[in-house]
Amino acid sequence: MGRLLLPVLVLAFLSGGPAQAADGPPGGPPGASSCTGCHAPMKVTDSVIPRIAGRKAADIVTFMREYRSGAWPSSVMGRIAKGFSDPEIDAIAAWFAVQPE
Amino acid sequence: MATRRTFLKLAGLKLAGAAGLAAPSLASAQGAGRVVVVGGGFGGATAARTLKQLDAKLNVTLVEPNPIYTACPFSNSVLANLREMSQQQFRYDGIKAAGVTVAETSVTAIDASARTATLADGTQLSWDRLVLSPGIDFDWGAIPGYDEAAAQKMPHAWKAGAQTVLLRQQLQDMRDGGLVVMSSPPNPYRCPPGPYERASLIAYWLSIWKPKSKLLLLDSKDAFSKQRLFQDGWAQLYPGTIEWVPLSKGGKVTSVDPATLTLTTEFGSHKADVANVIPPQKAGAIAAKAGVADRTGWCPVEPVAFESTLQRGIHVLGDAAIMGAMPKSAFAANAQAKVCAAAIVELLAGRAPPQPLLINTCYSLLAADYGISIAGVYRPDKGLLADVPGAGGVSPLGAVGGLRGQEALYASSWFRTITAETFG
Repeated sequence: MGRLLLPVLVLAFLSGGPAQAADGPPGGPPGASSCTGCHAPMKVTDSVIPRIAGRKAADIVTFMREYRSGAWPSSVMGRIAKGFSDPEIDAIAAWFAVQPE
Repeated sequence: MATRRTFLKLAGLKLAGAAGLAAPSLASAQGAGRVVVVGGGFGGATAARTLKQLDAKLNVTLVEPNPIYTACPFSNSVLANLREMSQQQFRYDGIKAAGVTVAETSVTAIDASARTATLADGTQLSWDRLVLSPGIDFDWGAIPGYDEAAAQKMPHAWKAGAQTVLLRQQLQDMRDGGLVVMSSPPNPYRCPPGPYERASLIAYWLSIWKPKSKLLLLDSKDAFSKQRLFQDGWAQLYPGTIEWVPLSKGGKVTSVDPATLTLTTEFGSHKADVANVIPPQKAGAIAAKAGVADRTGWCPVEPVAFESTLQRGIHVLGDAAIMGAMPKSAFAANAQAKVCAAAIVELLAGRAPPQPLLINTCYSLLAADYGISIAGVYRPDKGLLADVPGAGGVSPLGAVGGLRGQEALYASSWFRTITAETFG
């Protein structure tokens, strides 16, 4: 038992880095890494583009679906959201939700 | 098989060596993890930094000869005196702080089978994976008369820096009532909407400082990115100032004479007061030396990890690569770099990288407070990155309230974000 548990704990600790907080591939689920080109992982002064790291997953999902349907008006986000399925949006939202705020 | 003792030893090494909380993979702890990145632009700098972020145990070297990077996005605003050149410039301190070894030199040779890169001083770097992000070089000689010496008279300003400053100075020295002639290259080239943003912002500057002047835009194409938006904006903002001559109406420049600032097309000659020749392009020279460029001068890659289809173990990013539907932009290079870095971590661990999704967004300014955009979403399809159907597109045409001003604001916010993520 101890033989198995210790490595598992060590691995769990080691894999808790900011870039890999959720389960899955390094760098997040498909599409997530592109988002940070505009939605910075760090605080950026003088930017009007909102940060999404640490936002509630449910909020990110709602925004993306409403951008996609046009229910919420947007400049570029509607055009981008149309490229993502519900499961893809869910995975990206879950990943950003656990990134450091 | 690893005993408990050896495992703990490995884990202990990891803990002792952990520069941060990023997760090292087992494979890298076992010694496979040397990545050399060539070129410190939006692709290379992002790749190097992301690799260290995803796996702190990786040994990552970024080879870049310039101590200061000068960004091309927003350099057209420098021409129009809306920005200072210093706002375009970035150092590699953030990259070094992330644990990347920055070698301030160039790579002179690459041996794909021996997996080595030779630096200018003869040093050989061994790599398990090589990332090339060399940007573009010009196809000197494609336009007879246009060579590196001619570029001192007729600047390209398509690599930001001294050329941008030269073109700005020429515009400022021009008489009011002068003729600015631009030449736009055939596809593919760096930043598809760039020449048209440049024409817009030069017209913006002329309208304020030299209002009797005109701009002639000679094009080697019959269509261009965000064309309706640009042309509607020109008619609205600068009526009569910009004349666009497409390929079919004699727009292709067939030769230039730098001594007289003359650009010749199949239909006639144009004598300029200021001439901006954006020449045909190809992948940065190291790509051909490494054997990853094909007959087009660009680099074919597979669409998941952007590994060269010509040389195993070498990944190519950004403007130099053939990325299917994805355009050559800073946003694209940064997005590709993050996907490539994650894929390399997987490959070094002996796992297959996942199928990626990528986004591109490009803003263009037509005036200080007038922005338009194009966006796309891409995924691998039949060996290339393809547009995700139904997604992407350009800003709406027509009267759109405050949208143009809003997009100008988003454009400057994007630049702050992407440069912070890449260099900050």
